Amino acid sequence: MKLLTLRGVATEAKLLLIGIPVLLWTLLPIYHMVLFAISPKDTALSGALWPEHPTLHNFAVVFGEEHYYLSHFWRQLWNSFFIAVTTGVLTLFVATFAAFAISRLRVRGGRAVMNLALFTYLIPAAFLAVPMYRTMGVYGLLNNQWSLILAMVALASPYAIWVLKQASDKLPYELDEAAIVDGASQMQLFRLVYLPLMAPSLVAVGTYALILAWNEYLYAFLLLSRDTAIPLSVALGNFLAADDSPWELLMTTGLIYALPPAAIYFVFKRYMAVGLTVGAIKG
Amino acid sequence: MAVVAIREVRKKFGSAEVIHGVSIDIADGEFVVLVGPSGCGKSTLLRTIAGLEEISGGEIAIGDRVVNDLPPKQRDIAMVFQNYALYPHMTVAENMGFSLRLRGASKKEIETRVRPAAEILGLLPLLDRYPRQLSGGQRQRVAMGRAIVRNPQVFLFDEPLSNLDAKLRVQMRTEIKELHQRLKTTTIYVTHDQVEAMTMADKIVVMRDGVVEQVGAPLDLYDRPENLFVASFIGSPAMNVLEGRIAQDGSATFVTSAGAVLPLAHAPQGSAGRAAVYGIRPEHIGLANDGVSAEVVVVEPTGAEIQVFARIKGEEINAVFRERHRFASGDAIRLAPDPAQVHLFDSQTGRRIEGADPDQTLGEERRLEKTT
Repeated sequence: MKLLTLRGVATEAKLLLIGIPVLLWTLLPIYHMVLFAISPKDTALSGALWPEHPTLHNFAVVFGEEHYYLSHFWRQLWNSFFIAVTTGVLTLFVATFAAFAISRLRVRGGRAVMNLALFTYLIPAAFLAVPMYRTMGVYGLLNNQWSLILAMVALASPYAIWVLKQASDKLPYELDEAAIVDGASQMQLFRLVYLPLMAPSLVAVGTYALILAWNEYLYAFLLLSRDTAIPLSVALGNFLAADDSPWELLMTTGLIYALPPAAIYFVFKRYMAVGLTVGAIKG
Repeated sequence: MAVVAIREVRKKFGSAEVIHGVSIDIADGEFVVLVGPSGCGKSTLLRTIAGLEEISGGEIAIGDRVVNDLPPKQRDIAMVFQNYALYPHMTVAENMGFSLRLRGASKKEIETRVRPAAEILGLLPLLDRYPRQLSGGQRQRVAMGRAIVRNPQVFLFDEPLSNLDAKLRVQMRTEIKELHQRLKTTTIYVTHDQVEAMTMADKIVVMRDGVVEQVGAPLDLYDRPENLFVASFIGSPAMNVLEGRIAQDGSATFVTSAGAVLPLAHAPQGSAGRAAVYGIRPEHIGLANDGVSAEVVVVEPTGAEIQVFARIKGEEINAVFRERHRFASGDAIRLAPDPAQVHLFDSQTGRRIEGADPDQTLGEERRLEKTT
């Protein structure tokens, strides 16, 4: 018994030995970001492990839009929210109907759609940036936030369809048949049986699309250029345009920008685990 | 309640035909069991009646309506699935009332229909529970409740008891039968378990490979199986079948291929020397001093009876005794098949050879005794 515990401790120690460096490695950049955010401008680059006079002044500057680069902070934060949420909702809309049609109604060509969805994984999104720019130009959508939203929905949908289709396939088909015998139309089946049972996966997929759009830089940078139209991610990039970038403000804004995804993750954690493993195994 | 007529129904999946022209007539209020080994097409046939599968040929009528092209919801049927198919996100009451909700019934109407059904099935205390909080038997009852609430013309059951443990299965068997006696709704029940078929059915339809082998009352099938398949499928333990010939000399005996001589009531006319299969149920074999000598291989006492596996000239034979004989492996015994209970089948076609049991009337009497 004692030997067993000893062995348990040994295993634990080994895991800790790997875990602690990994944790530090991950936290180090975040530590730096926090350090910058709470340091006064003149000591930000001093290299101290902790600022002598920690301050929240930087946050006041950011929230008060008191810097040239921050003159549209609230507007840009709102843009990020709007683009991310709309992308999440639209992706869910497209992917849920697609998954329902392919998995439950078993429409013709469903397999082809799934294969195409998988195929899109092979092409890095960056390759499509210029063609996408051209397409949006043809549609006259450049500098319109809908161009970014539509582009993000197009990028997020294949994966979303794939995950939701896998999750749908796990629902017993007898449920559909029972509902059909009970007299359900296809829309009733979708609304009253399918959607409630898919809820955890829907949350996971919606969050995935939302965070994908929230974090997007390249497409946002290409498709949008007006200061009042760009999301905060692009605005952060613009900080680096100057020779003497205000690092402490960049890091403060970055910290603020990183909080919503973290919050979403904590709220929907239990759904994410369910949803993301569903797509992991091909059924 | 309604009659159901199945006429020359065919079903193809792609180019493979799985049901080859099946015709069954089901009377109003009848409890019909479709039974057969897995893959015989019984579940597919049930699903075509439900409208979950389209038929490739023939006609299905419920009541006086041909329903070939009607969707399930217009057929006025209710179905109970093997895995219950309860909606996991709805309570028992919501599950039972779902069909009414789909039809746009008011909350009050749903409640007035759900409560009596729940009462019949003893589900009243469980109405607010979710399926995951119920035991297997309770889930089964909810699935039936969902069917009852709709008050359909026909109940369809697709192997509803196969997910339950043995004890519960026997209990639910009785409950379903009782329910049928109470509601008198025409019922079509699919199972692969011949005991379920025998105990529950008014009429059994034995299927194999997409064709109907025999239709009849349970004891008719037991007493007069039309062919070897039905003979060995119905009855537990299964009927002994021995290949051989009817005696050349015209005596009422049968000679197995190993050379054992077994009694017949009398040889069918003009059948001397004909190759045939001798069928005798284990319970129709007795012990007699002038019996056929056999060697005991295995003895299995169940308490109520003793099952003996023996060899007659190397051929396995199975006998069941109600008396507590003390046999041991290796014992020599003399087995006497009851000639009146012997079934003869053609060795080529497997079809029953008539005339082997002259006392057909005796069989009838015995059957009457059993049913009354």
